[in-house]
Amino acid sequence: MALETDGFAIPELAEEHRMVRDLVARFVERDLMPLEPAVLKRESEGGRYGLTPEEEAPLLARAKELGLYGLDVPEEFGGADLPVSALMAIEEEMGRTVTPFIFPPDSPNLHMLLAVANAEQRTKYLDPYARGEMRSSIAISEPGAGGDPAGMTTRAVKDGDHWVINGRKIWVSGVPRADFIILMARTGEGKRQEGVTAFIVERGTPGFVIEREIPMIGGRRTYELVFEDCRVHERQILGQLGAGYAPMQLRLNVRRLQMGARCTGMARRALEMLCEQAKNRTTFGVRLADRQAIQWWIAEAATKIHITRLMVRDAAAKMSAGQDVRTEASMLKVHATEMAQEVLDNAMQTFGAMGMTKELPLQLMAAQVRVQRIYEGPSEVHRMAIARRFLKERG
Amino acid sequence: MKLLVPVKRVVDYNVKVRVKADHTGVETANVKMSMNPFDEIAVEEAVRLKEKGAATEIIAVSAGPTACQEQIRTALAMGADRGILIEHDGILEPLAVAKLLKAVIAKESPDLVILGKQAIDDDMNATGQMLAALLGWPQGTYASKVEPADGGIKVTREVDGGLERLQLKLPAIVTTDLRLNEPRYASLPNIMKARKKPIETLKPADLGVDVSPRLTVLKVEEPPKRQAGKKVGSVQELVEKLRNEAKVI
Ligand SMILES: Cc1cc2nc3c(=O)[nH]c(=O)nc-3n(C[C@H](O)[C@H](O)[C@H](O)COP(=O)(O)OP(=O)(O)OC[C@H]3O[C@@H](n4cnc5c(N)ncnc54)[C@H](O)[C@@H]3O)c2cc1C
Ligand SMILES: Cc1cc2nc3c(=O)[nH]c(=O)nc-3n(C[C@H](O)[C@H](O)[C@H](O)COP(=O)(O)OP(=O)(O)OC[C@H]3O[C@@H](n4cnc5c(N)ncnc54)[C@H](O)[C@@H]3O)c2cc1C
Repeated sequence: MALETDGFAIPELAEEHRMVRDLVARFVERDLMPLEPAVLKRESEGGRYGLTPEEEAPLLARAKELGLYGLDVPEEFGGADLPVSALMAIEEEMGRTVTPFIFPPDSPNLHMLLAVANAEQRTKYLDPYARGEMRSSIAISEPGAGGDPAGMTTRAVKDGDHWVINGRKIWVSGVPRADFIILMARTGEGKRQEGVTAFIVERGTPGFVIEREIPMIGGRRTYELVFEDCRVHERQILGQLGAGYAPMQLRLNVRRLQMGARCTGMARRALEMLCEQAKNRTTFGVRLADRQAIQWWIAEAATKIHITRLMVRDAAAKMSAGQDVRTEASMLKVHATEMAQEVLDNAMQTFGAMGMTKELPLQLMAAQVRVQRIYEGPSEVHRMAIARRFLKERG
Repeated sequence: MKLLVPVKRVVDYNVKVRVKADHTGVETANVKMSMNPFDEIAVEEAVRLKEKGAATEIIAVSAGPTACQEQIRTALAMGADRGILIEHDGILEPLAVAKLLKAVIAKESPDLVILGKQAIDDDMNATGQMLAALLGWPQGTYASKVEPADGGIKVTREVDGGLERLQLKLPAIVTTDLRLNEPRYASLPNIMKARKKPIETLKPADLGVDVSPRLTVLKVEEPPKRQAGKKVGSVQELVEKLRNEAKVI
């Protein structure tokens, strides 16, 4: 089925992309899900939410053997260059498990690097990153500027052919394993979005301090970073001086679509578990599956999962066609996270006390979705953005 | 050695099959379809023979609706070289399929045909044997091991009393059992490569085969529901129930 000109008919995934999705679905079921009990046990006992090197190594080897590296990396960098719709179908499958595993590279920064990295930065950072040999983080948020990052105050001042950075960043993910971070800082006099520049700062650069680790719900950890007279060479500027904001946004759109797909996968898993329990559990002489209260949860969940998947597909098709999907990405961010939260909560409720245990993946998924309602922009900020654009279009 | 591997499109093994409301068969509309698992094993074995250097070409063939292309494509992604689709929309009984395969074999002259021992939809367990009979070729069914040996192939079969080893002259027919191998996942690059491999489409008429059904299905029904179990309080009660209710002792 072809995409209609009015944009309503959402194209089917191509046959080969369905096959790749099915390949990933198998990988999730056969390779990732069996690790869940160990992952959940460690986390419930206060250990790290993550895989041990012994658990992760064979998965990475398997992913490599199956060609599941660099899924969204352009062919010139040796990647599979899958279209957004196929990537999102894969993301949905990955959302079905709480076993934390990412097909390298962890790609959101890829899009920003691809858009603006110069030749030297491509060789030094983008190539190894695209091969999955380097990892990176992005530092945007500050104690005084999160949902409204344009209010950031971290500043870089020119000193010869270097820039001297001072300021504080917070809630930054993945810092300890990052070989470099993309740091957003003010370099100009402009207000808000103007005068914000992206710098590539390598781990170990003097003056770049990891102040503390901040444990969060959902097994997450973020970091507070301090920059004290941190000197970086001007060739570390990523993109145009004073024009770092727009490419940073580019990165966020991809991430928001991904979150939509991931939430769809989590909700699917929750619904599957809910149905299984409802069929097997009898209270007051009646199967839970025969109660209207439970049936309506199932009906709502199935409907909303379908809606969310269509929203992801639609946004993906538009993104591939080069359209501006900021509004779709915002709608998806809000809808998908709230949808998954509701489905997970109903699934946990259906399991009764069992649903409250740390033996089931549901509680961990629920905490993860809870966190997702904050990062990459809180729901309220996205609602504001949707409404503002909507009002503006209507004069 | 040239290999032919027939692959069948069946309801995915994870799907709980439902009988159609009119009792003419099982529901396949809106149901996930996959390659018959025993055929996957057949493709895997063929690919391994090729990787060992014992085979030169692998042709995957499927008979059924246009959608069977998906199963052929899966075989191509696993490592088959080209595909043949024999397009037909109605029922295809094992004898019809065996005749179609015989006609394809006449065109392609493979040295070895590897089939699944049965398809998980109708569990007929007949196509391989019928094909061997139609061709007058030797057959090694329920293979748990296949090795090229002495210009032919050696097939190990798991039989009641132990292992039976057959030495077959080529051309020959082999059908696969579960323990023959564990099929690989087709890798992403191979899935992409499969897109470019050719699939030839034929009709039964092109092969001069009459595929009209010879069997009449009277009625397809769900198996009877299992009764819920009962808890008994004592051995006496158990014995009493087995004698008087179940009437088995
Ligand atoms: C797990 C996790 C990982 C993160 N990883 C990173 C990272 O790698 N790099 C990075 O830079 N940042 C990261 N963040 C930070 C994240 O982007 C910010 O937390 C987020 O943008 C919100 O900013 P804030 O926490 O300062 O909340 P604030 O901006 O203070 O907002 C707090 C609340 O106020 C309300 N609110 C705010 N604005 C409005 C409005 N306009 N209208 C109505 N209500 C409003 C909302 O309810 C919002 O939740 C991460 C956060 C989390 C939780
Ligand atoms: C923290 C905690 C502490 C506890 N401490 C104790 C304790 O000290 N002692 C003790 O004996 N027990 C304890 N419990 C057990 C608790 O009382 C039970 O979990 C609770 O009664 C629910 O039973 P269940 O878990 O078997 O869920 P189920 O009875 O299986 O119910 C599961 C779900 O099915 C649905 N459902 C059930 N019946 C109906 C219906 N008729 N109509 C519609 N929907 C229905 C509901 O959504 C319900 O949440 C504790 C539980 C927790 C979580």
